[in-house]
Amino acid sequence: MDPQSTIILGKAIGAGLAMIGAAGGGIGIGLSVGGAVQAMGRNPDHTATIQTNMILGVAFAEAVAIYALVVSLIILFVLN
Amino acid sequence: MNSFWNGKRRFVALLMFLAGVFVALRVPPVIPFIQLPGENFPEGFDMPFVDIRWTNTMVGSVIVWIVLLLFVVYVSRRRPKDGNEVPPGGFYYLFEVLFEGLMGFVGGIAGGRHFRLIFNMFMTIFLVVLMANWMELVPGVDTIGFIHPHVKEKYDADKDEYKVVTTDGYEIYQGFLGISYVNGQCDWISPADEAAADAAALANAESAKLAVMDELAVKAAYARYKAEHNGHGDEVHEEDAGDDHGDDDHADIAVESDEASAAYDEVLAAREAEKQARRDRSCYTGVAPGPWQEGYEPYDKSKAKDISLHPDPSAEEAKRVPWVVLPFVRVPSTDLNMTLTLALIAFVMIQFIGFKALGIGYLTKFFNFSTLFKSPLGGIDVAVGLLELIGDFAKILSFSFRLLGNIFAGSILLFVMSFLVPILPWPFFILEFFVGVIQALVFALLTAIFMNLATISHHHDDDHDHAEAH
Repeated sequence: MDPQSTIILGKAIGAGLAMIGAAGGGIGIGLSVGGAVQAMGRNPDHTATIQTNMILGVAFAEAVAIYALVVSLIILFVLN
Repeated sequence: MNSFWNGKRRFVALLMFLAGVFVALRVPPVIPFIQLPGENFPEGFDMPFVDIRWTNTMVGSVIVWIVLLLFVVYVSRRRPKDGNEVPPGGFYYLFEVLFEGLMGFVGGIAGGRHFRLIFNMFMTIFLVVLMANWMELVPGVDTIGFIHPHVKEKYDADKDEYKVVTTDGYEIYQGFLGISYVNGQCDWISPADEAAADAAALANAESAKLAVMDELAVKAAYARYKAEHNGHGDEVHEEDAGDDHGDDDHADIAVESDEASAAYDEVLAAREAEKQARRDRSCYTGVAPGPWQEGYEPYDKSKAKDISLHPDPSAEEAKRVPWVVLPFVRVPSTDLNMTLTLALIAFVMIQFIGFKALGIGYLTKFFNFSTLFKSPLGGIDVAVGLLELIGDFAKILSFSFRLLGNIFAGSILLFVMSFLVPILPWPFFILEFFVGVIQALVFALLTAIFMNLATISHHHDDDHDHAEAH
């Protein structure tokens, strides 16, 4: 196999593996939104507060997935 | 008017669908070329006064600012000065609804003493990011642009100069003369067809040369025959003519180097001119099949160290350089420069409002040594403060990459879907419409929340501030 193809292969596999980290962010977002929706259903008066906190939590959970994205973008576009 | 359009609208949709089918069948779909950093404009498109090359994302953000400033002018012109004027109506109300709704929304989160500053920040970031995100829905953005070789600039530290290299890092002769514009009037050159036409031209030239040679040979033979038989009168012997032809090699060579090669060259030159004309009309200059085309060969570093693309675009080495579209305008949120700048502005504003609200005491949030020797767990407070410090800087990263990642992924989704289903990519445009709103809201809302958190003191008066805020 010629070196260029090997490099591309390695990059693609590495970027794909790095994005596994996004699964954690997905699970976290799902849990927090699920909990928030339940809370809003039981207590509609506090929707605004719950929503704000939910968005904050979702943002923190998403940040982890974003780190994974950063790693895979670096592997794909910056590594030579 | 309404009833008129209600009847016709579905026909417009049908026509657009048929047009989509037609275009999808006529135009070969192009595999999207994805590049993370904003693409530099070619030479000759530098910014005035400063020595900076335009990038297409920069053009996008300039357009965003111009549109926003137009909105500002419009809204401030239409706003009624006193309550008795005629309601402005129309587009103006959209902004009123937006401001009323979001004011209530932000008021619920950060409705304290610093509401004005926080809301101004929120609204500015929201509108800028919203405009930037929605640009990916505009037709022509990301798709219309220069067609240029698949190259970028690279700094050569040894020679202290910039070199043009392919995006895979291989050197190319500097010069961008191969640029042509997309005007919908270009040919797709098939390398196989070109090779066949070349072979046919070669054969034609050969036969033209042979024809001229034959003609000349016959003439020469006739002249010699005349010279030989002048003295003997007009008797013609078949054997003589045959013998003449047999020992005539010398004369043939002399004839070939003269007029016959001229005929040969003429045919080849005509073919060359035709080729050049085709190349001028082609969608890319130079016969360089892209990765999506027949005849494409991947780049081989060992073979082409110093290819000269520009002097001879038809050279074998140059043919292997792929050609891509460099859009005139690209979505600004797909460039890390734009999102990072916004994140830095948000970060600075968060620290600013913290100092404004708490004075120098704001720093105790990060460097909390007050309880170090008083309480048995004072060390934990120090560690928490340092974590807060790191967390604040991590905000820059997460802010910028959240927006970049979502919008960049969204625009790649749109490219790929337009490639896979050229007729019906619009459900994804609807998806991207909402993603744009949500990301703009998240960016602005997190700024507002963090700004509000920065105004709240960490210590004993924590509860008091909370009570005041709500």
